[in-house]
Amino acid sequence: MKYAVSLIVSVILSASFCFVIWVVATHEYRWEAITPYQGNLLSGWWMTLLISAASLVGSVAVGILLTAGQLSGHAVPSFLCRVFVEVIRGTPLLTQILIGYYLIANSIGWDSRFGVGLVILSCFSGAYLSEIFRGGVESIPKSQWLSARAIGFTGLQTYRHIVIPQAIRRVLPASAGQFANLIKDSSLLFVISVHEFTMQAREANANTYATFEAYLPLVLGYFLLTFPISLLSRHLENRFRYEH
Amino acid sequence: MSIEINGLTKHYGATRAVDGISLVLPDEVRVLVLIGPSGGGKSTLLRLLGGLEIPTAGRIRMNGTDLPVTEEDLREFRRRNGFLFQSFNLFPHLSALENIVLPLVKVHGWTRDEAIARAGEVVARFGMADHVKKMPSELSGGQQQRIALARAMAHGPDLLLLDEPTSALDPEMKAEVLDIVAELCEAGQRIILSTHEMGFARGCADEVIFLANGQLVESGRGAALFDSPQTEVVRTFLGRVMKW
Repeated sequence: MKYAVSLIVSVILSASFCFVIWVVATHEYRWEAITPYQGNLLSGWWMTLLISAASLVGSVAVGILLTAGQLSGHAVPSFLCRVFVEVIRGTPLLTQILIGYYLIANSIGWDSRFGVGLVILSCFSGAYLSEIFRGGVESIPKSQWLSARAIGFTGLQTYRHIVIPQAIRRVLPASAGQFANLIKDSSLLFVISVHEFTMQAREANANTYATFEAYLPLVLGYFLLTFPISLLSRHLENRFRYEH
Repeated sequence: MSIEINGLTKHYGATRAVDGISLVLPDEVRVLVLIGPSGGGKSTLLRLLGGLEIPTAGRIRMNGTDLPVTEEDLREFRRRNGFLFQSFNLFPHLSALENIVLPLVKVHGWTRDEAIARAGEVVARFGMADHVKKMPSELSGGQQQRIALARAMAHGPDLLLLDEPTSALDPEMKAEVLDIVAELCEAGQRIILSTHEMGFARGCADEVIFLANGQLVESGRGAALFDSPQTEVVRTFLGRVMKW
């Protein structure tokens, strides 16, 4: 029975893969149409890499701050962080980018599209990360806290030496997923004309009507960014593994 | 160490876990054993004595000074003691050795070399020298308790508090842990222990107290409580647990 299931699943998946690859590969492409846009696509890819990497660092910082705020045990910061997380998670990123750039940044006279994009992406992704981090911290059993207290660790020492090292292992898979989302979400920065990867493909398509030729590079380009994160996460999961 | 408990009370909401216990223990009582039915208040009394809980009312004096009441002072107090719970004492992300070394370094301010040397001595004493490199998940329940006991003893605690240290173990493992506790008793370590192992209690205790419904029902020097129980509750309890 087990073998039958795995055989059926294997056949269906392999057949689907082959079908998709065959359909995509046998389409007649006019690659020459987008040849002039190669440079733009490449610079767009770099921009996506750059803003994603910076936002990744930013979102971890925001995520840690929001988690710390919520777990601080003080009512006001805890409540404010909660509100921030709920608002960010409950509203479209597109709207956040528009409001953030045209209303908020504009009103304080800040005109860096890259800078504003970086801050908004960091806040957006950081809100999701903080929920992952909080879940990780709260999943550490009470017995660990009790043991740490009995030994005489301070609250900070307990986080530093006991809770966070165990929580890291638990939040890695979900965080890696969130990082992949962050990279793809950066494509929405086209609304404030950040010349990232998707925007370049969009322009190439608009000028040539070679839709697939313009957009197919995105498949490879984004995968090249997200797959290493997946690999790194697996690697780190193994490094932080403590049960056999 | 003399212990003086006066009207000690701990309520959790409507539950009176410890309900007005008074007790005077002279200096020559080195091993105090708490027995009684589950839910009778043994664990709570141990945690109060170990500075892990703050009493709702009443007070505890050790060596003529009141137990502190602020978390910070209690932490200092806890650092001078050793505490062992029923199970899940160890930090699963640290090796057996690291479980002992980390508190010595971070809580007691030893150098790493001193801590490793000391850890080596205690694990050798507890017959665990061959297992120090292992992770807790690779140790049996009895081995885990022995490592946890080694950790609780490593800094030379004034007082060792053991909360049903063998209740989660099978008979063979119980024996290997109780052997060590008996050896510590003989070596003159001050111990307060709650247990369901009546044979052990009888053999090692200088003083036995019987708790039920959060109250002290009866106390007796040495084996007196077992040989001639004064109250019906204790007679019934002993009759039941000794039957098999």
